[in-house]
Amino acid sequence: MTENVEILQIKNLNLWYGETQALKNINMTFIDRQVTALIGPSGCGKSTLLRCLNRMNDIVNECRVDGTIDFNGKDILHNNTDPVEIRRKIGMVFQKPNPFPKTIFENVAYGPRVHGINERKELERIVEESLKHAALWDEVKDRLSESAMGLSGGQQQRLCIARTLAVEPEVILMDEPCSALDPIATSKIENLIDVLKQDYCVIIVTHNMQQASRVSDSTAFMYLGDLIEFAPTRQIFENPKQELTENYITGRFG
Amino acid sequence: MTEKFFDEINDLKSDVITFSWFAEQMLKNSIEALINLDKNLAKDVKKRKKELVQTSYQIEEKIFSIIALYQPVARDMRTVVCSLGVVNAAERIGTYGKDIANIVRDFPERPHIENLVSIPHMADLVIDIIGDTINSYELEDISLLAKLSERDDVVDSLKRSIFRECITYMMEDPRNIAICTHYVMIGRYLERSADHACRVAEKVHYMVTGERVEIK
Repeated sequence: MTENVEILQIKNLNLWYGETQALKNINMTFIDRQVTALIGPSGCGKSTLLRCLNRMNDIVNECRVDGTIDFNGKDILHNNTDPVEIRRKIGMVFQKPNPFPKTIFENVAYGPRVHGINERKELERIVEESLKHAALWDEVKDRLSESAMGLSGGQQQRLCIARTLAVEPEVILMDEPCSALDPIATSKIENLIDVLKQDYCVIIVTHNMQQASRVSDSTAFMYLGDLIEFAPTRQIFENPKQELTENYITGRFG
Repeated sequence: MTEKFFDEINDLKSDVITFSWFAEQMLKNSIEALINLDKNLAKDVKKRKKELVQTSYQIEEKIFSIIALYQPVARDMRTVVCSLGVVNAAERIGTYGKDIANIVRDFPERPHIENLVSIPHMADLVIDIIGDTINSYELEDISLLAKLSERDDVVDSLKRSIFRECITYMMEDPRNIAICTHYVMIGRYLERSADHACRVAEKVHYMVTGERVEIK
């Protein structure tokens, strides 16, 4: 039995876009080697919350944040914290696969190179391991020097996951990683999430509630910037404690 | 979920309620047939068995299609699961009614022994338990189930006392053996029916609260 290690702790997090408050006093803890799903209607703040975790909101104008996010004893939101270092430790996979217009090999090798690894053998090892870990190796091992743009959508998404893994992160953030994929590619990503959680903390934003119930250990339901309920996934989908949660997941909203 | 789904759930519930009363009526009528040795009524109860089976199949089909098409969660999921339990239990209870009707049909042409021992009293208690359980499902109100465990205990002891009483009559006069054997069987059917109702009550409790309880 592995212990539940608290890897990320959000404390009193508030966020404003200009005058609009998008996150209202969020407190939550993410456990290492577990999958946490964030669900809620559009505009509830789930993507905003996800983006706080690796300082992606820094580049949004008029965005103001207060509160703390503790990660390995460091406050992610603190001015002295290097966002580049944070983004290496806390990787992100986006809604639409966004490979670089480069070869498959270079897509994965790009991150390690930026972080100073230049030896060919070492890069080859990292690329192979990352692709294997992302369950893509067998499909691309004979075409590593071909353009990544020639891969299918599902393969591109797994390539993006491999690219994230290449820099040895501790946390993987996924913002609707399957919404642009067909059911088969989706189930491959879901299988992969199940494997990844053996080594990483995975946090996934999804509109697909069945996906949340299939892949996650804990589920957080957000509404209008508030965290309404955060509990083991089985509880959320079997017997939620908050009426808002119940109404949302059973489709009785509005 | 769509409006169509909510309509389907409401339809399902009303089908299950109608079906449950249909099964309850079979048991109730079979006891009336027994008390009055009314072979026509017994025949009528027996005839209803076919409809009982067909309807339970139809409702099960409806439940399977709701699960396949809508994958309900939370309270909706609990309602569907509970409904399946109610249907299965009601089908069993109706079948015990048919079994009692069969006994009445084959009953010897002679009056009951000792005013039917405690069977009418026991039947009243069982029918009440079944009725309260159906009502609790319909109204989603578990307060009706509060004393169910104690009520089921009374039913269990009545079954044992019927057994002991019947043994006495059988030892007194071997001509009582056939009828008393029937009484013992009927006591057993009634006790089983109350047990099925208690299993349903557990499912209603789960539907309403999300918590599982055991009603012994």
